[in-house]
Amino acid sequence: MTWPAEIQARAEAIVARYPEPRSAVMPLLYLAMRQEGSLTLDGMRQVAGYTGLTSVQVESVASFYSMYKRESVGDYIVSVCTSISCHLLGGEEVLGAVADEAGVPSGKTGADGLFSVESVECIGACGGAPAVQVNYELVEGVTSESGRRLCRWLADDRPQVVTSDHMQAEFGGMRSFEWGPDESEGATGPVPAFGPLGTSGQPS
Amino acid sequence: MSERVKITLDGREVEVDAGTLLIQAAQDAGTYVPRFCWHSRMEPVGKCRMCLVEVEGPRGTTLTTSCTMSVNDGMVVHTASDTVRKAQEGVLEFLLINHPLDCPVCDRGGECPLQDQTMAHGPGESRYVEEKRHYEKPIPISDLVLLDRERCILCARCVRFSDEISGDPLIEFIDRGNYTQVNTFPDEPFASYFSGNTVQICPVGALTATPYRFRARPWDLEAVESTCSGCSVGCRVSVQASQNEILRLLGVDVEATNHGWLCDKGRFGFQHLAAPERLTTPLLRGDDGELHEASWGDALDRAAAGLATIVESSGEDAVAGLGGSRNTNEEALAFERLMRHTIGTPHLDARMGDALDVTLLAAGPRRGLIGDLERAATILVWGPDLKEELPVLFLRVRRAAAELGATLVVVHPRANGLDSNADHIVRYRPGEGGALLERLAAGEGDLGGVRAALDEGPVVAIVGRTGLTEDSNLAGAVAGFAAELSDSSVLAVSRRPNLYGAVDMGVAPGMGPGRVGDDPGRDADGILEGLGDGSVKGLVLLGSDPAGDHPSGTAGRAISQAEFVVSIDLFLNDSNRGADVVLPTAGFAEVEGTMTNLEGRVQKVNRLVPAPGQARPANEILADLAHRLGETWESSAAESLGAAISTLAPYADVSWQALDFGTGRDGIVARGSELEFSVQNVDKSIGNGLSLHLGRVLYDLGTAVTMGPSLAKLAPRPILYLHPDDAASLGVIKGDRVELTGSAGSAVIDAALDPSLAAGTVYLPFNLGTTVGSDPSVTVEKAT
Repeated sequence: MTWPAEIQARAEAIVARYPEPRSAVMPLLYLAMRQEGSLTLDGMRQVAGYTGLTSVQVESVASFYSMYKRESVGDYIVSVCTSISCHLLGGEEVLGAVADEAGVPSGKTGADGLFSVESVECIGACGGAPAVQVNYELVEGVTSESGRRLCRWLADDRPQVVTSDHMQAEFGGMRSFEWGPDESEGATGPVPAFGPLGTSGQPS
Repeated sequence: MSERVKITLDGREVEVDAGTLLIQAAQDAGTYVPRFCWHSRMEPVGKCRMCLVEVEGPRGTTLTTSCTMSVNDGMVVHTASDTVRKAQEGVLEFLLINHPLDCPVCDRGGECPLQDQTMAHGPGESRYVEEKRHYEKPIPISDLVLLDRERCILCARCVRFSDEISGDPLIEFIDRGNYTQVNTFPDEPFASYFSGNTVQICPVGALTATPYRFRARPWDLEAVESTCSGCSVGCRVSVQASQNEILRLLGVDVEATNHGWLCDKGRFGFQHLAAPERLTTPLLRGDDGELHEASWGDALDRAAAGLATIVESSGEDAVAGLGGSRNTNEEALAFERLMRHTIGTPHLDARMGDALDVTLLAAGPRRGLIGDLERAATILVWGPDLKEELPVLFLRVRRAAAELGATLVVVHPRANGLDSNADHIVRYRPGEGGALLERLAAGEGDLGGVRAALDEGPVVAIVGRTGLTEDSNLAGAVAGFAAELSDSSVLAVSRRPNLYGAVDMGVAPGMGPGRVGDDPGRDADGILEGLGDGSVKGLVLLGSDPAGDHPSGTAGRAISQAEFVVSIDLFLNDSNRGADVVLPTAGFAEVEGTMTNLEGRVQKVNRLVPAPGQARPANEILADLAHRLGETWESSAAESLGAAISTLAPYADVSWQALDFGTGRDGIVARGSELEFSVQNVDKSIGNGLSLHLGRVLYDLGTAVTMGPSLAKLAPRPILYLHPDDAASLGVIKGDRVELTGSAGSAVIDAALDPSLAAGTVYLPFNLGTTVGSDPSVTVEKAT
């Protein structure tokens, strides 16, 4: 199976960003995941073709990182941090509330394919703990209550794009920093939004 | 001479080469530091932590991995201090946490570095009482190799070998982290021509090869060092047998040839020697037209009488000999004596119409060594696909290009094993090589860059026939061109194991033993022609199967027209099935002698097991034939023939004594020649139609593959490869059946597409069961 022409063009553009094709392996893996909903053997073979690696070398990279999902995930992957800062400030409770509201136990994907819920290690937002990500878009200062509201919003509104700024305003509390670059683009599926690399699906 | 530095090793002051790794320097100085992941032919990774030593520094003494630390002048190193011992115990305790300790049922038991080093350096017992990792075991990761992930200690030797050395990284660490394991991609097996090397270098029993699994314990093995007779590279091997049966070959690390590596065909091809089809008794054709078992006396009488009758009725010229390139030098010399002296015919050839000009083989210009690749700035490979024909030479060229930074130029009709490491790739149609050479020499057009690269010496040129439809004079012309390049050396390559030795022994027309001229005679093509027109009536075949090997595809028919055929062989084949006398002979590891590789390097092959049944060494058979034809040789023993070889000028330094005890494992290079090499005209005519590229693949239908149970299933089915444009114009798509018609007939065969071919070229792998002759001009039609 080969990718549609548009995706092939994106893959080629990603490869062209690097001096060596093999350096493109990680963004291409997200592209492959975005294309099929999860990282399949065929997806890895496609990536191997673009990078000049063998399929097993691609698998070696893919199987190291927990964000490359080998099994299909929901439309929204909700990651709740339970590392030390978030844990001390109630991350476990937020996880419990999110899992309850989404109806999906932590580490699983719902039968309807809407939610995947997982607990994750530190996502670099200790100053705004407890922190949550939706499709790798960050929300800080989440409580059990706002976590439940977040899930309800996702289930009711089914947003095509989730952005960090929007979720922070609606569901977040204190942030680690009140400054930083605008992150206006959002994620359109359960892979990180790398707009410039073209993996998000969001026109930049 | 490299710079030397002084280090203090366990209180001893020793001098070692500057810049070497501490683990190597210590070993050179006589102190063995235990290790699992480090291998002298691969880059260090410091992964297993077994080689920890203490190094004194300005901030105190620190434990460091000796495989990742280079020596410095004045370095003070402790390899056996209490701290080091404690570290080693700790490392081994960790390595054994998940190791199943199933040594009693493990093939590695008894020669296992993990077992040995645990005995030498490990703690008496483990504090680990939890459950070990469990995996399904063993899982086949290819047709030849099985993987036991429980035994694996994650040293990455196999992973690094397949990436660094063989360049086909089909085996990798996956699930890295707590659950790291070595594995292949789910549906892509470890189908490497070099997979057996990973089994040999695995420091535990995680990788095992099917031919040796559960066959023997290492302490039950008898071993002898020998030379692989799979191809003309001449890799050094340890042949190991139990109860008179060869069970495995291991590569021996010699600088000159193989660096310890072997290809899988060389490593596992020995199985054909124990095939039930091996000839064990002489066979004579009876009045009923069938071959029947006979006594040696009757068979030799009949063979001699048959040849004598032809000499009497039609003269010595009516007898010819083919073969010798799969035999030892001693056997080849006996063959030459029988044919040229006892019978008196000048018609003998060890080549099968697939090799090179005799003068190029024996007296090529600027003849080089494989080792020249190590210092080459530029390498030109205009010859066979080395990965398919001379796999370990491929590894050496790959190393020179990938590791040592040589500029690699590959000229071949299609994609080739070396392409991924090549700086310049030139493709051409078979038949257009002569014209291409002229353009290349002139640096015309897009070849300017290639020409410029070739001006950077030292240059090593590997020349040979890219395919069997190619004019054999082209390689000579390329050699002539390469010899003019700056600081160049030339390796003229042809595959068959002892072709160079047989030619040196005079089994070639116009050339006597020791690379001297002799009366002109017919070559293999001429002999087959003579058989066809009746001018050659008697034929002696020595370990040769022209019907299968001669690319014309017409040799079988020619041989069937002979009046009298004597064959000395291991097996019945298409050439000797119709012979009058078939004499069973001893093969690899069943005879002692010498072989000469493609550089002219002479190495010993040694005997370890008896030949099956009544099979005998060819030199004894040939001497008995000579005796019956009226010439009694002083001795038929291989050793005395070996002594006779030492009297030939290029072989003056070569003796069994010197090879066994004197010069070590690198053998002795036979140098010098009275012959003059000259460049011959290259046929530049090319037909209008499609042009056939007839190339070899490693696993073809030769006896080493088909008669061995492990390799037999690896031979691919024959496929005709077409350029997509040609396929489109013929209306052919992948998987269609096409009819290929060449000089020796037609065949219907599956088609596939190969965009790497030059348009107008079709590629047929040779000796996979489909033969249409060796003329480059062919036609292809879609079969109905």
